[in-house]
Amino acid sequence: MSALRIGVLSFAHVHAVGYLASLAAMPDVEVRGSDPDGTSTGRSVDELRGRALADALGVGYADTYEELLAWRPDAVVITSENARHRELVELAAGAGAHILCEKPLATSWEDGLAMRDAAASAGVLLMVAFPVRFASVFQRLRAEHAAGALGRLVSVRGANNGMLPTARDWFTDPALAGGGALVDHIVHIADLLDGLMGSEPLTVTAVANRVLHAGRAASETAGLVTITYANGVIAAIDCSWSRPDTSPVWGGLTLSLAGTSGTVEIDFFGQAARGIVAGTGRPLEARYGPDFDDALLATFVDAVRTGTQPQPDVHVGLRTLSIVLAAQESARTGRTVHVLREEAAPAP
Amino acid sequence: MSPPRIRIGLVGAGGIARAHLPNLLRLGEVVVHSTAGAPALVAAFGGGEVVDSLEDLLERVDVVDVAVPTFAHAEIVRAALAAGKPVISEKPLALTDEDAADLAARAEAARLPLYPAHVVRYFPEYVRLKEAVDAGTLGDLAVLRFSRSGAFPMHTPWFADHALSGGIVMDQMIHDLDMARWIAGEVVRVSAVTARVPDDRDPVEAAHVLLTHASGAISHVAGLWGPQHLPFTTEYSVTGTGGTLAHSSAAEQNYRSELAAAVAADGFLPAVDPAEDPYFAELHEFVDAIQGGPTPRVSAADGVAAVALANAARRSLETGQPVELPSFSRVGA
Repeated sequence: MSALRIGVLSFAHVHAVGYLASLAAMPDVEVRGSDPDGTSTGRSVDELRGRALADALGVGYADTYEELLAWRPDAVVITSENARHRELVELAAGAGAHILCEKPLATSWEDGLAMRDAAASAGVLLMVAFPVRFASVFQRLRAEHAAGALGRLVSVRGANNGMLPTARDWFTDPALAGGGALVDHIVHIADLLDGLMGSEPLTVTAVANRVLHAGRAASETAGLVTITYANGVIAAIDCSWSRPDTSPVWGGLTLSLAGTSGTVEIDFFGQAARGIVAGTGRPLEARYGPDFDDALLATFVDAVRTGTQPQPDVHVGLRTLSIVLAAQESARTGRTVHVLREEAAPAP
Repeated sequence: MSPPRIRIGLVGAGGIARAHLPNLLRLGEVVVHSTAGAPALVAAFGGGEVVDSLEDLLERVDVVDVAVPTFAHAEIVRAALAAGKPVISEKPLALTDEDAADLAARAEAARLPLYPAHVVRYFPEYVRLKEAVDAGTLGDLAVLRFSRSGAFPMHTPWFADHALSGGIVMDQMIHDLDMARWIAGEVVRVSAVTARVPDDRDPVEAAHVLLTHASGAISHVAGLWGPQHLPFTTEYSVTGTGGTLAHSSAAEQNYRSELAAAVAADGFLPAVDPAEDPYFAELHEFVDAIQGGPTPRVSAADGVAAVALANAARRSLETGQPVELPSFSRVGA
């Protein structure tokens, strides 16, 4: 088996660091990155950009996207700023590379549809990077739900709270991020519900504010969203950047599901050894648990090798994006908004 | 010789009366009237005298505690106020905004206290939250979440009838709607979604309510009447510019057991520490105020506002759109 060539386009998203390292550790995978717009903001691995990050991680590097694509990678991972996903997806699809695109799929409906069509017409696979659905606890939830252990699902509460992203300050630039907390943190839980239920979202209501980090953020830093689904389920998501900067850990993601036969609560990042630092009185939270990114990347690499479309695909990406766009409109207008639906996919 | 003990008339002998009677017996002489169940209630707690009519009760007591089903609150409260009695009323004060406002107006006109029993304000974990917010520890509030889950109330049929109980929003979630308003202030917009499986044997009802406060803070209130085996649990998570405070009743257990023969838990009412019983704290504060003590932490106006929030959420369920609260309902702003 020849080594698979995988390129990483842009290191703008913090997840690029983990993806580069995980891919580099895979057998029979050769990794090269390119980050022509990146400028390091410090010396820690989370602050390095461009060739400096590639060198620090021991992976190959190309100075331009064109040079990277001329290497003829089998697949690429796109970890640019959200608003630049489309141009890089179109570039990669044009080069015939399969694509794993960081979440959210895009920052506008038009961009999302264009990405779907670009991948379809180039005949390449397009997967969206939602690592949390690869958690083994989510597989357990799926199995219990499928076995009917929850009965008929009725209501879901989800919270995906983190710190205000600071190492990569484009997260708080609405032009590049496509918004603030709503675009950043709705989609993971929306993806989990999509993967669990496979039901169309119908309406979205959202409230948001910029009380937290008012001086540093140009967009909303707190958001609460309710969603109704075609199967009758109601869901609520807290997508706020409400974890204080001084927290010992970045944040987390919790899900509480209620059905006619019982409830399930999942704390996806919650397992930790806990203590206190004597010198400062600060809490010590030593988290443990499997790395969901490894399972996500393994699924993508396997799909590239077999040519089989993996999940979550671009349609999941579009459904989760439709919830974000409706939430943004609802927060802006104070109205409940019907989500956009994908028209029938074009014939191949 | 000690002064004669205050005479309290408990009207109603259903589920919530079981949380009231033992605490009322610590506070005064209790007379009980109910259309059903009063002798059994009195026998269960070894105190209280049963009378056959509301008129009898009103003639014999100094204060009336209304613990009848929701749909009868307004009628009994009106009768008690008309008889010149201070009134404690279970929540919701009434089913409609008009009735709730009318009760508050009658009490004010008669210069009689009317205290709606929003007991969550007396649960110690919520008192800690209020203290932290009032002390400024959490700074300017940004985002709040409240959740309340338990078994669908099946012990009596009126809960399942929205015309009689107001459904989960009016009966159960009104606790956290009141809490959100107590903690983060007046509310200017309300939206709600609901899901209901009206199964005869195992019904489930749930709702999510979003609130926008006048301050700009936002709140999510979640309610679940779940399957019959579900224990009663509550959660909150409140974040402001100064920090965050969260509580989970399931996580904060100070007694865990793994017994071969488990003792059945009640999924209808929360478990309380008998040494810090919030129902006692509440009734004690009310009875004390009626006897000249300090003003309670909850007023008739708060009860009217809580009903208005619940009804705004119910209107949102009907229209499918958020509801703006008119300024007249922002009581106590």
